[in-house]
Amino acid sequence: MGKKVTAAAQQKAAEALAEAISAIDGVSAALDTRTSGTQPRHTVSATSTPDSWRALAETLAAEHGVDHCSMITGIHWPEAADKTWEVVYHLMRTCVSDPASIEGVVQPNITDADNVEGADVPLEIQISVALPDTREPAVASVQDIWVGADWNEKETWDLVGIDFDGHEGMRRVLNPHETPVGYHPLQKQHKLRYHGFEEMYDDAQGFLRKPADSGKVK
Amino acid sequence: MAEMWISMGPQHPMTHGLWTLKVKVDGETVVDTEPDLGYIHRGVEKICEARDFTQITTYCDRLCYASANTWSHAYIYAAEDLLGVEVPERAEYIRLIAVELQRIASHLMWLGAYGPDIGNLSIMVWCLREREMMMDLLQELGGSRMHYNFPRIGGVKRDLPHGFAQRARAKLKLFLNRIQEYESLFDESTVFLVRSQGVGYAKPEEMINHGVTGPNVRAAGVDYDVRWAHPYSVYSELDWQPSVERSSIKGADCYDRYRIRVEEMRMSASMVLQALDKMPGGAETYHEPGDPKILAKAPSRAPEGATGSHHFEDSRGESMFYLAGGGEGRGKMPYRVSIRSPMFITIPYAAKCMIGYKVADIPAIMGSFDPCIGETDR
Repeated sequence: MGKKVTAAAQQKAAEALAEAISAIDGVSAALDTRTSGTQPRHTVSATSTPDSWRALAETLAAEHGVDHCSMITGIHWPEAADKTWEVVYHLMRTCVSDPASIEGVVQPNITDADNVEGADVPLEIQISVALPDTREPAVASVQDIWVGADWNEKETWDLVGIDFDGHEGMRRVLNPHETPVGYHPLQKQHKLRYHGFEEMYDDAQGFLRKPADSGKVK
Repeated sequence: MAEMWISMGPQHPMTHGLWTLKVKVDGETVVDTEPDLGYIHRGVEKICEARDFTQITTYCDRLCYASANTWSHAYIYAAEDLLGVEVPERAEYIRLIAVELQRIASHLMWLGAYGPDIGNLSIMVWCLREREMMMDLLQELGGSRMHYNFPRIGGVKRDLPHGFAQRARAKLKLFLNRIQEYESLFDESTVFLVRSQGVGYAKPEEMINHGVTGPNVRAAGVDYDVRWAHPYSVYSELDWQPSVERSSIKGADCYDRYRIRVEEMRMSASMVLQALDKMPGGAETYHEPGDPKILAKAPSRAPEGATGSHHFEDSRGESMFYLAGGGEGRGKMPYRVSIRSPMFITIPYAAKCMIGYKVADIPAIMGSFDPCIGETDR
């Protein structure tokens, strides 16, 4: 049968990691069991204050073998009570980043995936950093820890407008370079109206637009 | 000699899409590179905020024109995590078949496009011939040629049609024979070997840190595959090993990245054949659309504050969706959809790999990473 990391090993490793990083000031982490089609999937879900995020990232990389920054998501919550901005990091421990080599040939790190344990278990980690209400949201950059975070941070600033302190070479990546300063399309003040299909196909030119809609950008 | 910047693209055969690679050259040598993306940014993430959960699948299909099924499945797994749906086992097998056939079709598209990149023109039509067989099979499942909209939240749109298993077995058997033809076309072509071997080394120890995943990292001897490391679907029920190239410590060159994709096509074909044999209820039985054996009931509204995420092994690396759902009477639509595109992260790394090589090597190096600009720009 094909190899796989068992759910039990995943759960144990996730619990251990969650306990370890909860010791950091301003961080609370817990095991998070998600579904994955027919099977459960154990991940670590954590929240961190903006101030302790940088320390948390350094600890994860140095002590817990978290070697892969998968994705960074920025979210604008103008109507939420407890936060206005949120940055969600999806990190991974792949356990394969420094492969050994014998006689010049690279060797796989994990040979028996069914029986890995402890710090050798590949793991998903989700960290949410809530930012207070401010016109210039910013959080510490982790570009120097995980190079993979580089373009993720660029994208998050470009689309959502959350800046990263210490990020080198910040620029527009998906929007045109001449996009006006301060325009970040995924902020919620830029409304996107839902179009019914009749409207989309029969009135593509907007001739039949209702008076209430006049002036709205389609 | 004076250094200067050259713009390769947006219209250049090297790009495999629409983007610009700015290259700083010193004579014929590449000194520095800077990719410039976003030419076909469509704002899919924003559009999805005004669509309900079932409507989003079609947008995800269109993220990548060469690999539609893997993207819609990646979304569906995240949506099922958000809505808390358990999928019937038979549906998981059908999804596996659809995704692996798509992986073969996507790799064939890549192989067909990579040949002309480096001077082997006949391979293009050879690969598209077999890709057409895979697309015929996928068309039987999804109903259209490229954008299938096949998975549903809780299962799949339709069961395998009558005679599908028989046709799939015959076509895959033929395909497995024809892979040898590609190998002889490539491996015995001096032009191909000269242009791909020893060019564009990507180092195993730095790729994970740079966010590179999928075939590109496996080509360097790193055995990392989301399908076993973060198991989903029913891959563990099948007898398979991820294809990993035996690479030297110098890393993976363009030739290794070609080898790995050929091996992956073999592995995917073997997975589909196994899944057809092992499917609960048998591949020959047919259930009407909507039957609980292939489609579980799913809620249409997400609870307040729920989130869903899923990592998925796409044909080009690890793709991922993160959905933040619900809130303020709009539980039918996601509040935020975030998409991880493997190529968005890989293209800057591929551009770094070119430094030190000649300008003529740029198409060979860039093409070997399998860029797809539809998913990169979203």
